[in-house]
Amino acid sequence: MAFWFFRGLGKGIVTTRYPKAIDPWTSALPTPPAFHSDRLTIALVDRLIEVCPSRALAREHNELIFDVGACSACERCVQEGAGAVEHSGVFELASTRREHLLKRVHIGRGSA
Amino acid sequence: MTDDALAAELRRRALALFGRSLHIRTVDTGSCAVCESEIRLLSAPPYDLHRLGFFFTPAPRHADLLLITGPAVRAMDTALLKTFEATPDPKAVVAVGACALGGVYEEDGFVHGAVDRVLPVDVYVPGCPPSPLALLHGLLVAVGRLEERVAALTFDLAAEVER
Amino acid sequence: MSARQTTAGLPPAFSELAPGVSGARVRPDQLVAITNELATTHPARLADLFASEPRHGAELTLRAVYALDDAARYAIVECPTSGDEFPALSDLDPAAFVEECEIYEQFAVRPANDKPLNRVLIPPHADATFPRLGHRPRPELESLHARHVVEGEAFEFPFGPVRAAGWESLYMGLVTTGEEVLDLYLFHWHKHRGIERRLVGLKPERALFFAERMDGLNAVGNGLAFCRAIETAAGARVAAAAAHTRSIALEMERIYNHAAAVAATCQTTGLSVGQARAEIVLEELLRLNAAAFGHRYLFDVLAPGGVRRVGDADAIRKQLPRACGEFRRVTEALLRTNSHVDRLEATGMLTHEQAQRLGLVGPVARAAGCPIDSRADHPFAPYDQLELSPPVRESGDVLARMEVMLAEVAASEQLVLEQLADAGPGQIDVQPRSAAALGWAESPRGEALTWVSFDSRGAIERARLRPASVRNWRAFDDAARAENVFTDIPIIEASFWLTVAGFAR
Repeated sequence: MAFWFFRGLGKGIVTTRYPKAIDPWTSALPTPPAFHSDRLTIALVDRLIEVCPSRALAREHNELIFDVGACSACERCVQEGAGAVEHSGVFELASTRREHLLKRVHIGRGSA
Repeated sequence: MTDDALAAELRRRALALFGRSLHIRTVDTGSCAVCESEIRLLSAPPYDLHRLGFFFTPAPRHADLLLITGPAVRAMDTALLKTFEATPDPKAVVAVGACALGGVYEEDGFVHGAVDRVLPVDVYVPGCPPSPLALLHGLLVAVGRLEERVAALTFDLAAEVER
Repeated sequence: MSARQTTAGLPPAFSELAPGVSGARVRPDQLVAITNELATTHPARLADLFASEPRHGAELTLRAVYALDDAARYAIVECPTSGDEFPALSDLDPAAFVEECEIYEQFAVRPANDKPLNRVLIPPHADATFPRLGHRPRPELESLHARHVVEGEAFEFPFGPVRAAGWESLYMGLVTTGEEVLDLYLFHWHKHRGIERRLVGLKPERALFFAERMDGLNAVGNGLAFCRAIETAAGARVAAAAAHTRSIALEMERIYNHAAAVAATCQTTGLSVGQARAEIVLEELLRLNAAAFGHRYLFDVLAPGGVRRVGDADAIRKQLPRACGEFRRVTEALLRTNSHVDRLEATGMLTHEQAQRLGLVGPVARAAGCPIDSRADHPFAPYDQLELSPPVRESGDVLARMEVMLAEVAASEQLVLEQLADAGPGQIDVQPRSAAALGWAESPRGEALTWVSFDSRGAIERARLRPASVRNWRAFDDAARAENVFTDIPIIEASFWLTVAGFAR
């Protein structure tokens, strides 16, 4: 049984230092999208809503409603969005209120 | 502070007072099993939730926090509510994953579609699945040791600078 | 007629539906005869049995899918039924029992025998509004449960559905006199999400999202079976480079799942240090999945017609051998740890006869002496070009299942590395209309099947999803009853390493 002990020592510390530091490998994680609101059009947004399989996108007049909570980070909208939609890179998404996960993004140029 | 916010703050302070250790009971309400896999890894060396004072417990009576996955399949209602009622106050309910937050499965005859249609939820953890680090973030937010970040984010790259 | 078909020597009623798939349409009075002929002239394995009823009042059709593993062929027997009963297949083939129960509770037609049927996926309290796949008035579900007789000193011990951290919801009824397991039964209905019903009316791409996430630990295995059914129905052929990418993802899925099974087995024998070391390897593999394919569990890699993402060959080439090497070192140490191996040997034994009788698949079957592996038995690109020799063990116990998984990890590592140079992108447009097809892939837990039919607009009419777990859970009570004590049950569950989600879809 001794081999377990010495092997373990040889391996060193593998534990993350989170929350003190963020591990570099996390850049490979899938994350919800972020939108270039100035590149969005109503037609594009309606197409994004159609490709989203998880009902995370909706539109009210010229606002895109993005439900971060419903998002499965499948990236279908990133693929369809062709430059108007990117990975946000955010994975620390925990929220104490459901409303904090509902984002409104103005479609097109102009103030939100 | 509103009554709601005050209650939430009190709950968080109470959990923080438990301070040294927080016991977690998990409930699967119909997940695809991948959220479970990430939860299992919380006790593995790369994440080691024990160093943060978190422990899994098989008994709801010893639990301070319920970690719930899945879209709240209706067939789990009885078991879920029994577990919630058997967990003494103060307790926190953490809903984990897109399914538990209302994504993926729409409400229908099989599922409620979101855990907060059955129980009051204190912390929502998005992801499909949320990685163990995202889960740690969620747990630390639940006990008030980390601030929530997502509220201030706009997810609009043309607006203010984020992060 | 292809040479394959005549070699398979199927009865004249069969014709070729697709490469490697034959079909026959028979009347109910012919069903038992033709299935017997298949079972006796070939080692035909019942791979699935399901019903479809497109609309209220439409014809209800049974389909029995037989795998002729020696002849590289699936044979689908299609049988329209009328009335409330259909010829019982389970009288002669126990592998059909669970499916006959499922057909009864979903479609309200039962096998024409007097055998009591079990509840499979519909919860006991379900009322008449509970959604079912069929359209006939619901059957009497209340009485639906084969009696469990608990007498003498034995008592029944309910466990679940809420279980320990990281273990899916599952109800276990244990019948014991105190230590030994006299009987065990499982209820899977707590997680039934009606996925097959959800897929009706969807187009292929949207349906794949659910097919992958139904049973996430087998996303690639189940997803690939689903994609291949779609592509066959559309008469489409995936690009060679994309086929290699899919195979790489599938083998990487197999590797991480087997590492997780080893970790879980250590958890159940109480060998914490072994569990910790195996979990370190598992975490490395999941990070590699993310680095290579953008998702720790390989979601969203597949697409109907090819792949959405291409693997990062450099990352895989650098990190996979390192992770697999560490896995080998951990498992070698485990096999030298007597306290651990003692708990695995002669525990949870399944005989070859039991595995065949119940139509088991995957490592569970291979550990019980059944040399079946759909990659080798029913090859498709790229497996038809690869060197495959599925590991087989005879003892059928927990240790044998572990040994099969260890050998498979080594084999899968080679399969990945040798395909990296040929892998690449590729996605062709697939629009199946008014067509149906069978798809299959060897998921980490065994053969995964999909049968899907499309209407004239290209929307799904019926999707039958049959992950490997659907076949193998039915052997769990046999494995638990074979001279075990109930502290062995978690060890047996870890060695089966199935998913509840894959059964309760």
